[in-house]
Amino acid sequence: MMDSLYLSGWGALGVTLFMFIPFVAVFLYIIFKKSFSGAKPADTAHSKYVTAEWMWLGFVTLVFVLVNVVSIGYMPTVATAKAEASGHDIPTYSFEAQSWAYDLPDMAIKVGKPVRFSGKSLDTMHGFALYHPDGDVLFTMMLMPGMSEPTSLVHTFKEPGTYTIRCLEYCGLSHHEMRDELIVSR
Amino acid sequence: MLTATKILQNIPVVSRMFPVDESDGLEEINSWPALMILTSFIWLFIAGLLGVAMPLIQRLGLDTDFFYRALTAHGAALAFPFTFQLMIGVGLHRNGGCSGKAISGWLPAMTYICMNLGAALLAVAILIGGFSVSIVLMYPLPIVGVQTGQWPMWSLVLAFTGIGMVLYTMIIFYPVLVLKMSFFGEKREDLILSERSMNDPGMLGMVLAALVLLIMGTPLLILATYVLVALYGIIPLDAVEFFTRPVVFQFAFFVFAHNLMEAMALMVISGVYATLPLYLADGSRKLYSDKIANLALWILLLTSFSSFLHHFITLFPNLPATLAYHGNIMSWATGIGAALSIFTILATVWKHGIRMNPGLLACFTGFILYILDGASAIVTSNVAWAFQLHGTMWQSGHTMTVVVAMALMWMGILYHHYPVMTGRMLDDKLGYRFVSLFSIGLVGSALVMLFGGADGMPRRHADWAQGDWMIWGDLLQGFAVLVALGLVYYAVNMMKSSESGVASKSPAAAE
Repeated sequence: MMDSLYLSGWGALGVTLFMFIPFVAVFLYIIFKKSFSGAKPADTAHSKYVTAEWMWLGFVTLVFVLVNVVSIGYMPTVATAKAEASGHDIPTYSFEAQSWAYDLPDMAIKVGKPVRFSGKSLDTMHGFALYHPDGDVLFTMMLMPGMSEPTSLVHTFKEPGTYTIRCLEYCGLSHHEMRDELIVSR
Repeated sequence: MLTATKILQNIPVVSRMFPVDESDGLEEINSWPALMILTSFIWLFIAGLLGVAMPLIQRLGLDTDFFYRALTAHGAALAFPFTFQLMIGVGLHRNGGCSGKAISGWLPAMTYICMNLGAALLAVAILIGGFSVSIVLMYPLPIVGVQTGQWPMWSLVLAFTGIGMVLYTMIIFYPVLVLKMSFFGEKREDLILSERSMNDPGMLGMVLAALVLLIMGTPLLILATYVLVALYGIIPLDAVEFFTRPVVFQFAFFVFAHNLMEAMALMVISGVYATLPLYLADGSRKLYSDKIANLALWILLLTSFSSFLHHFITLFPNLPATLAYHGNIMSWATGIGAALSIFTILATVWKHGIRMNPGLLACFTGFILYILDGASAIVTSNVAWAFQLHGTMWQSGHTMTVVVAMALMWMGILYHHYPVMTGRMLDDKLGYRFVSLFSIGLVGSALVMLFGGADGMPRRHADWAQGDWMIWGDLLQGFAVLVALGLVYYAVNMMKSSESGVASKSPAAAE
């Protein structure tokens, strides 16, 4: 379940709605209760406000800490660090981006084997986003021209198939045409 | 008669929306703000037309160049000459009426001229010159675009001139004007509507916002000035080589761009803190706790400085993982400030009760949108999710939502100040229709963009059909129509506002 939460845009949406929907429900309830059906002031004891304040802050802090601590295990940067520390030889898929195409290497990529994606831009800002065949974004990279080191990430594919590469950093009038494909085999 | 009043009286058709009442002796806190507000609505009209056009261009399969021009112009018009100018118009009126300082002289004039002339130059560069670089410039795209023949050099020079003028407004003229009014100059009792001190949350946010703009914007202003001077040939281009390196430009840009939004958030939350107490059922005119309200503003201020690093998370390892995670944590920490604001508002409403009106409802629905944006923003600032969401429609949804949330809150606050500025009352029925349509349209648009982003729909992309994302575009079109209808009600309300009799010096007493 954590995989689908942290490794997919739909998981991100779920967490966003988890924070938003209860807030809207409570907010609107209080606003409408105190404006249309019972506008008069409440005689709630001050101690109850203080309790509510601390409980609310405690709850918010707990959610924030939990979400961010658990997310560490799902950060591509952490996965990259672990893969590079493993001592295994990781092949590098080295590419360049220039308006509006990628210069991709002729390299076989296999399921279950970590690959280092390493890219540079030759002209303007570009992106390198890898889409799963079902349309979900696996990861995206920002390529800024003039950097001495390439942008890079290690990724291990779990399924074979034809993956789509798209530029997600607006790069000019043919930005929408900047895409390619990557084939992953067993 | 102030220059601003003369200009207002001579704007055809729409001058009826904002007739400044010269008889009440408040011209010096009403005139420039009214002109800024009215001009911002003209820009909103332009931005709105472009916004409605974008999904239509895709659905009709028109030239993709039109889409990218509309995209760039829509974002630029919405953020700067509309929302920022609306904010400074209402904010300056509030400042003047609370501190008793006149808004007159060269500073407000330069603020107005540079914002609007700059925006006009940029609009010409985009719509006629084809300078399509999106709202964030995507440097070095402006230059690469000229080199690859996508747009002419004149459009780049014109655009950078316009951008430079807008930056001078946001970073120098407006902040200096606010600080001057807040701490210097002669206080005039005849201009005071409701005296407040700097301890008041309604005033503190204004000063904090001005300081953020001034401090965090100065590096970008220096860079922009050097580049502009080189573009005009006054100094050789080689002399600005350092400033034109992509990494230098991008970091200076986003340090300011991010903190600009945070400063605007400080301003608008401060504005809500000032307005809400005026409509409490028990007449106490007090927030639940000024201390908690101020603490929320300080937390927002201190955590926002370095949260701009979340813009570069996917540049790894060029942005080290530690800095990426720092940006992640600071972004979530701004949520603690938002949590305190939520508590302050709800505790105030619960404790004191409220007298609802369309302006206050606009503030509340704007705040709901602000929290939706906040939730979507902190999620995409998390390092793990950033690698799935960055560059998708999620980001566009987040950016648009924060801008329109702030605009809606300001339009609500304006509803409160309108009778004092013009001597006219607004119609509540039309007001409620505006709030309902506008809010539903905006919440719908925001959610569609977030869903689209979760679905992998790219932002700033002229071919939604490519990945079967057209459904999100069609839904966006539908909600955009609701937004437009809401705005029609807002405009009609102002055009038809009736004479109230004597304009009151006390905003709440105008009720």
